[in-house]
Amino acid sequence: MNSAAELSSPTRDTQTLRRRLIGLIAVGEVGVLAAMALLVGFFWLMEPAFLSERNVRAILNVVSFVGIIAIGQTILLVAGEFDLSVGSVAGLSAVVAAKLMTAAALPVTVGILGGIGVGALIGLLNGLIVVRLGIPAFIQTLGMLFIGQGLIQVVTGGYPVYPLPDAINDIGATDLAFGLGWSFAFFIAAAILADFVLRRTVLGRNMYATGGNQEVAHLVGINTNAYKIGAFILVGALSAVAGMFVMADLGSGGTSIGSGWELTVIAGVVVGGVSLFGGAGTVAGGVVGILMLKVVQSGLVVIGVNSNWQQIAVGVIMVMAVGLDIVRRRYFIAGA
Amino acid sequence: MALPGPPASGPGSLRGNILSSTTPAPLFSANAIAKNFGGVQALRGVDFDVSAGEIHALLGQNGAGKSTLVKILNGVHPAGSYTGAVQLDGRTVSFASPADARANGVGYVPQEIEVLEQLSVAENVFAGRTGLGDGMLVHQRKLERRAGEIFSDLGININPRAYVASLTSAQRHLVMIARAIVLKPRVLMLDEPTASLSGTEVEALFGVLRRLKLQGVAMVYITHRLPEVLAICDRATVLRDGKVAVRIAREDFTPETFIFSMSGQRMERLFPEHAAPIGTHKALEVRGLTVAGHSGAVHGAKDINLTVAAGEIVGLAGLLGSGRSEILHGIYGRARANGEIRVADRMVHIKSPGDARAAGIALLTEDRKRDGLLFNLPVGANITIGNLSPLARHGLLRGGLERSSIVAAMRALNVKASSPKAAVTHLSGGNQQKLLFARVLMRAPKVLLLDEPTKGVDAATRHEIYRLIVELAEKGVALLIVASELEELIGLCDRYLVVADGRIVDEFARGEGGEDRVLRSITAAQAQSHARATQGDP
Repeated sequence: MNSAAELSSPTRDTQTLRRRLIGLIAVGEVGVLAAMALLVGFFWLMEPAFLSERNVRAILNVVSFVGIIAIGQTILLVAGEFDLSVGSVAGLSAVVAAKLMTAAALPVTVGILGGIGVGALIGLLNGLIVVRLGIPAFIQTLGMLFIGQGLIQVVTGGYPVYPLPDAINDIGATDLAFGLGWSFAFFIAAAILADFVLRRTVLGRNMYATGGNQEVAHLVGINTNAYKIGAFILVGALSAVAGMFVMADLGSGGTSIGSGWELTVIAGVVVGGVSLFGGAGTVAGGVVGILMLKVVQSGLVVIGVNSNWQQIAVGVIMVMAVGLDIVRRRYFIAGA
Repeated sequence: MALPGPPASGPGSLRGNILSSTTPAPLFSANAIAKNFGGVQALRGVDFDVSAGEIHALLGQNGAGKSTLVKILNGVHPAGSYTGAVQLDGRTVSFASPADARANGVGYVPQEIEVLEQLSVAENVFAGRTGLGDGMLVHQRKLERRAGEIFSDLGININPRAYVASLTSAQRHLVMIARAIVLKPRVLMLDEPTASLSGTEVEALFGVLRRLKLQGVAMVYITHRLPEVLAICDRATVLRDGKVAVRIAREDFTPETFIFSMSGQRMERLFPEHAAPIGTHKALEVRGLTVAGHSGAVHGAKDINLTVAAGEIVGLAGLLGSGRSEILHGIYGRARANGEIRVADRMVHIKSPGDARAAGIALLTEDRKRDGLLFNLPVGANITIGNLSPLARHGLLRGGLERSSIVAAMRALNVKASSPKAAVTHLSGGNQQKLLFARVLMRAPKVLLLDEPTKGVDAATRHEIYRLIVELAEKGVALLIVASELEELIGLCDRYLVVADGRIVDEFARGEGGEDRVLRSITAAQAQSHARATQGDP
């Protein structure tokens, strides 16, 4: 009796421990966080300057811009669609806002609202066309990527919009803490809010249902079209905000703002466990995924790896992350 | 004489048959086939055979085992997954796959249309086939010429160069048959080939089958339609509960024999007593409802009038594709529909499932994998989805309240899952079905539409679901049920509506008839439309 009890209690302990561990791994973000901690440790060992104040600040600053878009992209992916036009929407919104403030001499707030309006309007257009006309999001938003790039040139004539009102430059120059400014504050606040909405609200739950199986969601009375269009509008507006923060940071409405972001954003959130097929992933995961991509890119620079290899690394990491995610789902969640 | 040997009923070898009988030696046969799916015995020792130049009808209600048998004969269920022997030309064959069966001369035309819409007719006919002697290259003209030859041989009038996207579903079916015939099969199995065809098209198909018969092809013809069996088949085998109920020779063909053997007396199954009196007020009233057929299905439903009283269980009987599910979809706002719908004597305008739910109507769909479960959400969230507003304040989910209502719902319906956070994939079919019941009942609907409520669930859960249905009726819920298993429908319902060709063709109350009356009404309606189509068209 006694010895049996002594024997069984440690096994039970290891069992609960094992179950807890599995439960922890099954939480999507933990895997990415662990991978990122490993990478940070590796780069720091290779080159202690990786964790220098300057480098950490640089990473976080870049993450704040793309991260703002990643929040919207995550929500849109959860609803079962995605948007490739985010980069050119960011750029277009920035130059439109800049033109409104300079050439049209309108107040700064009107310029900012105009920029956000452009982003939201393009989002609405993407949403309506995808949902109502049934054109695949891939085609519609790829088309919008080119249209946006063309419109940037049309609006600016190919020249950066410069100089901008002082108020804009001030937004870009503000140091709230640790050398990080308004863009980072906005990014963190928006990420926390969005993560909470997806996890804890009716809106969020219905979003998962819509992306999981649109027909089922429709049959239980969810207006799936409205959810999808809303998510497209949100992505557009957040892209506009990100574009304008970059503009403030640069102090000019540059024509290359946002170029190439679309793939970084999608690669990042996918690394963070957001499913390309809809209905799965969290904002926390998506944001951590973006952070990890940027850590790798920066780390490779710091330890002196040729810049061509950085691109290769990003590609390899994305494929590996998705592969690991599939394995994780198959063995841990299925086995638990 | 043959005491220790295998059962003497089998065809044995070719040589044996020459001695023993006057009937032609069977070309293709199944001997003592048994198969079970995780404890459910789908086939219990079935013998079946077909001879060269014979058309052998395979009949039986849904769930009788027809498709399981065909899947074994066709290699979908590979050798080793069943017991018993399949023989071709007297030699035992073990097909590993449908491709293997095809290579051995056993062709199969599935019920669903599987064509490549972007390709031409000729390309479809030869899709996946090699052996035209051109190696890797596709010789377009040659394909078209060969397809043309096959078509004229069969009396099919389709241009081989046309794109399949432009064909009617009947023509597509003929293309699929041509695709099977290209390989010059010795055995051809056709699974409900007329399901999507009109009367004249059925005649054209019969012409093709008669030519194949003359060429000595052995054919297995699966159907629900008795007039077609009478028109073209030489022999019929009726399956019931995974066994051969009866084999009928052509000279004994009458509608009565078929109906009797298909319904028959089955194993007694217990249906709970529905004792409480049915309410007097109409919970659901439908007037002149016409439902558009969605893509793929030819039939919608036309001019449907029905009422369901509070506490009444009404069954919609009819064959697959008769329009019975479309009636439910029309009422629920899932399919586009016109007509008047009243719930508790109040007119409601239903344009979407959301409207139907607001009016107190709930629907349990037929296919829980395709349009029931959300596999990306855990068990608990699957129950509460669509029912979240009472569990939230200002759009914010109240975690504790949600959890307790999930636990209560799971207990009430006896949903067995390790926790509310478990993945729905890991639940058995029965538990998944009970989970969906928990979802639709969360809103306490006044009218409950059930489409195949016991499809793919084990016997114990089946019984639980029957009890639940009767309990709901006794609480005053109005239930409208579609079920393919007639016995189930007859045992459960207070009143029956028989649907054929998108219309209600018969209505009777419990005690005024049983399975035989349903089958008779369906057959009569089919014979009528068959006659209309063959005479009416020039």
